[in-house]
Amino acid sequence: MFLQQLINGFTLGAVYALIALGYTMVYGILELINFAHGEIYMLGAYITIISLSILTITGLTSKSLILSLLIVLIITTIISGAYGLTMERAAYRPLRHAPRLSPLISAIGVSIFLQNYVMLTQGSADKIFPHILPPGGLSMADVTLTYMQMFIIITSVFLMTALHTFIRKTRLGKAMRATAQDKKMASLVGIDIDTVIMVTFITGSALAAVAGFMVAMYYGLVNFYMGYVAGIKAFTAAVLGGIGNIQGAVFGGFLLGILESLGAAYISSEYKDAFAFIILILILIFKPTGLLGERVPEKV
Amino acid sequence: MTKRYFRMKLRYTVLFLSLFILLAAIITGCSKKEDVIKIGVAGPMTGDQSKMGIDMKNGAELAINEWNRKGGVLEKKLKIIVEDDQHDPKQAVSVANKLVNAGTIGIIGHFNSNASIPASATYNKANIPMITPASTNPQLTEQGFTNVFRVCGRDDQQGLVAATFVSEVLKFKRIAVLHDKTTYGQGLADEFVKAINHKADVVYYAGVVQGDKDFRAVLTALKGKRPELLYFGGIYPEGGLIIKQARELGLNIPFMSGDGLIDQKFIEIAGPASEGSYLSFSPDPENIPNAKDFLKSYRSNYGEPGPYSIYAYDAANVLLRSIEAAGSADGAAISKAIHEMKHTGALGELEWDKKGDILHSPYVVWEVKNGKFTEYWKPGETNH
Repeated sequence: MFLQQLINGFTLGAVYALIALGYTMVYGILELINFAHGEIYMLGAYITIISLSILTITGLTSKSLILSLLIVLIITTIISGAYGLTMERAAYRPLRHAPRLSPLISAIGVSIFLQNYVMLTQGSADKIFPHILPPGGLSMADVTLTYMQMFIIITSVFLMTALHTFIRKTRLGKAMRATAQDKKMASLVGIDIDTVIMVTFITGSALAAVAGFMVAMYYGLVNFYMGYVAGIKAFTAAVLGGIGNIQGAVFGGFLLGILESLGAAYISSEYKDAFAFIILILILIFKPTGLLGERVPEKV
Repeated sequence: MTKRYFRMKLRYTVLFLSLFILLAAIITGCSKKEDVIKIGVAGPMTGDQSKMGIDMKNGAELAINEWNRKGGVLEKKLKIIVEDDQHDPKQAVSVANKLVNAGTIGIIGHFNSNASIPASATYNKANIPMITPASTNPQLTEQGFTNVFRVCGRDDQQGLVAATFVSEVLKFKRIAVLHDKTTYGQGLADEFVKAINHKADVVYYAGVVQGDKDFRAVLTALKGKRPELLYFGGIYPEGGLIIKQARELGLNIPFMSGDGLIDQKFIEIAGPASEGSYLSFSPDPENIPNAKDFLKSYRSNYGEPGPYSIYAYDAANVLLRSIEAAGSADGAAISKAIHEMKHTGALGELEWDKKGDILHSPYVVWEVKNGKFTEYWKPGETNH
């Protein structure tokens, strides 16, 4: 039973961690908490369902499911990346030199706008992901690990490793780290800050979109307000690990998922959502820098 | 100079205001003379449960149009006023006030128990009869109001039928119960537990959060208690996800729920996992001889009827017949007429007790079979 709860929590945590990465990257560079980040995840889930139904009309899904899901994933990341980019251009860049509160309010505005935009264009009823994925998984004794859970965990771990390598090993990653340390100094040594910020938003949005893609398949149910709670939980995960710290976001995401599952199972399922916020409050009181700390020199 | 200017301005303001008041008086005077009888319909017309609200509106509208074609009631034409309560208790009260102020003389609604109960107090104060087609929480008719009626059953009747089915037909001894913490969901789950208490053991009982999508933690904990059946009190989005995730976790026990899951969306969300689910609900209109005409004219006007369309249709007919029987638009007289009435409608024969509940429990058990809801068991049958 305990092992099963760990698997449940680990899957949940993988999704939180993917979304938390976007929060933490943007905070690392701009010191802005992008409250509209959860909406990008919601958009990712919607784009997944919409593009999949278009592919179903063309008949591709019945021929090759894996190929069509791959196409859906690519479309989802590209469109969500574009949304992230537009968001930065329209709502945050004009406010870059404004007091810190202004972009924060702008972020909340973007969040409300995107939610209502999706509600008006897609309707307020739940959208359902078609039952096309083969069910099943590995079971041993009483413990089941479904293929979908395996897919979510493997994909998230792969993406996190890829992100880590990108930031550590590439020139652009180096530029991101430099910008996170000191924006002014980085621009003086010839780094194009605007490009770095754009890349940060696109990468963060793409990761959230992948999370949305996987959640649409995992639960099979998508609605316009799903980004709000998921966003707040991912934010909690980022704070839990130490906001601005990439390893922290991953660690915080997994820890939050597991704590939530165990709390719902052993304490009370009625207060499942409350556990995340209790953790957030406790962390803010006792260790505001997070468990792994806000590693300032490497805070990308 | 400025003093004079102000005095002038004041004069104009007073003139303008008096003109405005005069105009308003004329308008309200007109509306009083308007020769129609207004019937209110209230339910969730937008949002995630909008389908239920629209089904309900269509059913009531169909009945009202039929009466209008025959010449209306008390030699006046009927007018329908539709309001959206968004299945929110606060919104329900404000909508109720709006309908009272609009001069409606009877209400078809609301849909959800948590909306009907607060709204019923408003209608009671204004002495306007309300007939709900769908709110099954017992509390609604236990408030001592003489103007509140329903054409559907009560959750204690529904819970009893479900409990009888589980203990006498399926003969299960270990039951797990989940609910969504709403007036309807928890209310139904509690009535089920009360009815099954001495016949089987409730080995697990917990609430989940409405709107949540991941129920794996609670389902895993529940699985450890080795129940033989899972009962859920709630609505279809959570119900569909719960049964789907239970199957993924290898929890292959029968699933049972109430009328909140009777919707095609439940089968769409759960997919193949919904197969074999048991649901308590009223009998299939297709099998009721009286419902034939209703089904035919509903389909030609609006397409396939929803689960509650027929209830709204009957509720509207009951209201209009009672206005005719009372011979006036007076709320107390109409309510009295309903209490004394024996109505033969599309659902069959209906009679009301002092509280405003129908006399005979309408519930039967349905099963999901080949992706469709089919009637499965009636109380009184011992085996199946």
